[in-house]
Amino acid sequence: MRKVWAVVRREFVERVRRRWFWIMALVGPLFFGAVFVLPTVLAGGGVRNIAVVDATAGTLGGRITDSLNASHAFEAVRVPAGRGVIDSLTRQVEHQRISGFLILTDAAVDSGRAEYRGSNVSGFAAMRALERVVGEAVSAVRLERAGVDPKVVAEARRPIQLTTHPIGGRSVAGETAAQSFSLAYFMGIILYTAILLYGINVMSSVLEEKTTRIVEVLVSSLRPFELMAGKVLGVGAVSILQFLIWGVGARLLLARRASPVAASDAADEIFQVPHVSGATLAIFMAYFLGGFFLYSAMFAAVGAMSSTEQEARQAQQPVAWLLVLSFISMFALLNDPNSTLAVTLSLVPLSSPIAMPVRWAAGNIPGYEIALSLVILVGSIIGVTWTAARIYRVGILMTGKRPNLRELVRWVRA
Amino acid sequence: MTSPTPLVVLDRVSKRFAGYTAVDELSLSIPTGVVYGLLGPNGAGKTTTIRMIMDILQPDAGAVRLFGQPSGGRAHTERIGYLPEERGLYRKMRVLDVLVFLAEMKGMERRSARDRAAQWLERLGLAQWAQRRIDELSKGMQQKVQFISTVLHDPDLVVLDEPFSGLDPVNTQAMKDVVLDLRRRGKTILFSTHIMEQAEKLCDQLCIIARGRKLVDGALGDIKRTHGGHHLVVGFDGQTGGAAHVFADRALVSKVDNYGQYAELELAADADAQRILAALVESGARLSRFELQEASLHKIFIDLVGPDAAHAEGGRSDA
Repeated sequence: MRKVWAVVRREFVERVRRRWFWIMALVGPLFFGAVFVLPTVLAGGGVRNIAVVDATAGTLGGRITDSLNASHAFEAVRVPAGRGVIDSLTRQVEHQRISGFLILTDAAVDSGRAEYRGSNVSGFAAMRALERVVGEAVSAVRLERAGVDPKVVAEARRPIQLTTHPIGGRSVAGETAAQSFSLAYFMGIILYTAILLYGINVMSSVLEEKTTRIVEVLVSSLRPFELMAGKVLGVGAVSILQFLIWGVGARLLLARRASPVAASDAADEIFQVPHVSGATLAIFMAYFLGGFFLYSAMFAAVGAMSSTEQEARQAQQPVAWLLVLSFISMFALLNDPNSTLAVTLSLVPLSSPIAMPVRWAAGNIPGYEIALSLVILVGSIIGVTWTAARIYRVGILMTGKRPNLRELVRWVRA
Repeated sequence: MTSPTPLVVLDRVSKRFAGYTAVDELSLSIPTGVVYGLLGPNGAGKTTTIRMIMDILQPDAGAVRLFGQPSGGRAHTERIGYLPEERGLYRKMRVLDVLVFLAEMKGMERRSARDRAAQWLERLGLAQWAQRRIDELSKGMQQKVQFISTVLHDPDLVVLDEPFSGLDPVNTQAMKDVVLDLRRRGKTILFSTHIMEQAEKLCDQLCIIARGRKLVDGALGDIKRTHGGHHLVVGFDGQTGGAAHVFADRALVSKVDNYGQYAELELAADADAQRILAALVESGARLSRFELQEASLHKIFIDLVGPDAAHAEGGRSDA
């Protein structure tokens, strides 16, 4: 047991000492943040500078400019229509001084037509926001034209705010659908990345001992299974430390975020900073560790059956694909967390480490499903580790060509 | 030298791999305190035999007994030092950390491992490298670190698989010194080699195997006597007397090259060189030289293994 402990400590200390670990500790959150925010930015987040070319006779241009400025998504300047205005604004867009410009004529009120010219017309969220502002202003003008009192119009158009609360046994204080969604999405990405990353860590550790032949000395001192277990536990401990660093870092950052950084509405609409409860953390860690043990046992076997880095990179693909599939299925899950597919995925051990926490974050799940899924996961870990250990035991001493499937089966049976 | 219970006993041990037998009913016994050579051409099964002793491989049949107990190397790991044929260390680890870790694998306490490692590094002139990473060391220095890791925990049995392969002359000498020093301190050394000259210089006892089977084993002197003592050189000091008559006796001499004042004889089977000496003196010959020529271990090896097998690459030397 002391020897296993020494293996655990070596794996842990050597990894934590490397620069790579601290780069991950710092860059990791940035990376996840980027993965997190990038879709909204690409979808058209950020404050846009636009000009409103006003060729209307009435107040429409002024109204729209004011509402755009009030939306925080735009900084709008009203420009009266005139000769050469379009050309000079086009040049400004080309020189990236402004994002684009909106051309308003009186036709907008009658036919409902307006024109936007800009550098990034495909920015979906921004276009939607623009359309909404213009639409609201136009309908207000139409109503007033029809003789409705502007006060009544304003009263009628006061927006409602729909707050959604998932109903379940756990505390949902302050949780909105958007928050659940972003939490689920975030957890899915972290689980996938961390399991893959640390699984591959185990693999390269096995491979290093195999290629340097240290493994012979080690295996003459402790049983192959003990060695493999020590490795997996050591790398697992590193991953937990990494999460701790990220967790504490995130808390500090979020505490600072209390003073709002003028974030765009568009981004806030889809991704909101979620409230993470203790139960959610527990589920996350339980499934992370389960997934890590399951996959790292497989990665250890892959490392043991390979003789070179290149070979290992090839051989790990089937294992990595299992994980990628689970990750991709996350998007289907998010759509409908209680579909048959979602329930199945969260019970099947290869996908449950990602699927179950994602479902948990996205909505309410009966306790027995979690219990069942965990039981299946633990059972699979035992089975997979047993099989992987047998492949490992034979593989670490083998050189030469990689075994085919039939040989692998023989190794397991031997 | 021989103690009542041998330190290492192999009892009809066999190991088969897919399609071929690496070790076939091999029995041998290594007494305490000797340098024991396991000799054979490449692919003879030396490494497989050592791995079975070390518990890295399990024999398909037969038994390994170490230190008088029916168990292989893993149960006695703190008493055994092992240097595998192919060397390597954790490239990114610091020298001292590697040594401490490997000593821990051998059951040593961290603190004493640390002290002992520092002493050894000092002794082999590597003290200033203790905090450097392995991959900053030259190959020769890495080899030294690996010797240290093999003997750091002061094992009673040291198992060295092809210890001299890939060593530069300086380290070869250092390795020999380590082996001799260990023997002086009563340790038992088992080493494998296919280079007979080294075995001849170092071994007290040896076992020659080929294709997984034992050809001969025992003390080096005995093996030389039984397998090499057939050649006799006789020189005359003028008078040959009735020597020709003696040489013609087929009960004593099976073959002769007689140059008049000098003759090379091959002894008949079961013939005793002393009887030839007596017969020559009796026949009135005056001898200036009478020498039983010891065949070199290399020649014995070639005779036993056959010239082809001795040089054949076994192909599966890793197995």
